[in-house]
Amino acid sequence: MILPITIGVLVAGGVFLIVQRGMVRIIFGLALISHAANLLLLTTGVSAYRGEPLANRTAVDVAADPLPQAFVLTAIVITLAVTIFMLTLAVIGHNDDTKHMPHTGEFHDR
Amino acid sequence: MNPALLSLFVVLPLTAAALLVVLRRPALDRALMVGIPALITAAGIYLLNEHRETPVLAHNIGAFPGGVSIPLVSDTFSALMITVTSLTTTVTMFFLTRTGEDRFRFLPSLALMLTAGVNGAFLTGDLFNLFVFVEVMLLPSYALITLTGTWRRLGIGRLFVVVNLLTSTILLIGVGLVYAAAGTVNLAELVGMAGEDPRVGYAVSVVLLALAIKAGVAPTHGWLPRAYPATSAGIMALFSAVHTKVALYGIYRIYSTTYEGEAPWAPILAIAVAATILIGSYSTFGEHIMRRALAWQMVAGVGHILLGLALFSQFALAAGIFYMIHHIVTMGGLLLASGAIEQTYGSGRYERLAGLARRDKWVAVIYAFALLSLVGLPPSTGFFAKIGLLQASADAGGWEQWVFITVICVAAVATLLAMQRLWSGVFWGPTMENYRPESQRGGRERRVPLPRGLHITWQLSSPAAFLVTLQLVFFVLAGALIPIALRAADDLLVLQPYVEAVLG
Repeated sequence: MILPITIGVLVAGGVFLIVQRGMVRIIFGLALISHAANLLLLTTGVSAYRGEPLANRTAVDVAADPLPQAFVLTAIVITLAVTIFMLTLAVIGHNDDTKHMPHTGEFHDR
Repeated sequence: MNPALLSLFVVLPLTAAALLVVLRRPALDRALMVGIPALITAAGIYLLNEHRETPVLAHNIGAFPGGVSIPLVSDTFSALMITVTSLTTTVTMFFLTRTGEDRFRFLPSLALMLTAGVNGAFLTGDLFNLFVFVEVMLLPSYALITLTGTWRRLGIGRLFVVVNLLTSTILLIGVGLVYAAAGTVNLAELVGMAGEDPRVGYAVSVVLLALAIKAGVAPTHGWLPRAYPATSAGIMALFSAVHTKVALYGIYRIYSTTYEGEAPWAPILAIAVAATILIGSYSTFGEHIMRRALAWQMVAGVGHILLGLALFSQFALAAGIFYMIHHIVTMGGLLLASGAIEQTYGSGRYERLAGLARRDKWVAVIYAFALLSLVGLPPSTGFFAKIGLLQASADAGGWEQWVFITVICVAAVATLLAMQRLWSGVFWGPTMENYRPESQRGGRERRVPLPRGLHITWQLSSPAAFLVTLQLVFFVLAGALIPIALRAADDLLVLQPYVEAVLG
């Protein structure tokens, strides 16, 4: 039951943060939700302890399902890259509460 | 053809993108960003021809046995989508070189990376792989949307990234649930499983929900008309040709494969489709900027395309696929024509533009033909596309018949009225007196009096002219195109060749 409860708490916290105003909080919210997604992917294999899924080292009947682990690995890489990009967007660009133009080095007549 | 060559559709643009990061030569940039999509278009046409005899070509990457490996599958539907999107991408890339946007560092590489993701998403036969290719398509888009356009793109870029990342997470959760329920994410093994096992049905519904948000189906369409117009016209045309279309392709493919017929929640889809069409076409009235109005028309187009799936018969699916082809080409033409106007006069607002019908006669002619196609009046592909959907609705019988025919007609009239506002604002009215020239620093300078000799150059308007002529050719050759659309619909209904080719 620990994993489903953890996933639930993570999603709840993530949704709460996403509906806040600031970009940084939204990013934290998305990070929580993607963690929840990763845990959910892990539970699609068997959530009990299994051996490492390496050929010739672990017997097939006690080895873990390698596919969800591959899914999670791919998902983590993608989320990490996008999180860094979003943090950059939070730094540049304008404050969403004001109408000030950001300094982009370009000239814009309004 | 050797099916192993299918991976070239992904490998070629990815390699070119990597090459352009290392080699910095403007001439090479231009040659590859136009040449590679053109090459893929030619390969797509070859593939379409190949599928007349062999309906499905499949290749398991790394020659692993079927079921364990990642399959790339091509049939008439995916080959058709690759051909049409690559052709539109080629024209859009040419437009980007004409507006000088190719000078932005990494833009050519990012655009080619986008192409790789799109082709991969069309060819893959595996749900998790679809997620990966959708991400390969989206990651360059996150950068592209913040690269060119007005300063608003920086705020809008956030919206675009947040919506798409959240949706991708839902897609990932859906794929995980499918794996938990069915024990596989291979489409060929999932055939009919969602219809038999309600757990797989729920899991597949989560995947389809994520794709529906990415496609811009009401009530989750709100991000699309806000995000797209904030970038430049060229990038918006690129996105409009591929992004929502990949999601729509995914919905068509996954829905018809996993359910092998209609889903239990088909009435909800029907309601969402009708709402999308009506909301999209009526919201066009509220806009005063060309590309914003067109973005709402994209939402309406998504509804029209999904109508084929909601009705679910061979003719209805073919009508939906034909509408998709029409929509990609027509919308590309309209966006590139608007882009040519904006690039020359510095604004897309109705009230800042006037009298272009006298100033740039040929652009007005191009725009007029494209608008006819959007509304669905002959001579245009839009005419046949709408007739097809009306015919499919009439065949459906019952309440669907009346509801959908009414919705399509009301939406067409609303589009016509809204586009008349655009036309009278931009192309009629008094002679224009001032404009905003392009700034050396990027962006736009202050308003200055408009010189007599300034016109939209042929180089800028030729991409739009090409796409509008193409849809006129489609109008004339509709008799040859409809059998291809019917064969593409067969791919979605007769799944035996697909399963045999993949699992062999």
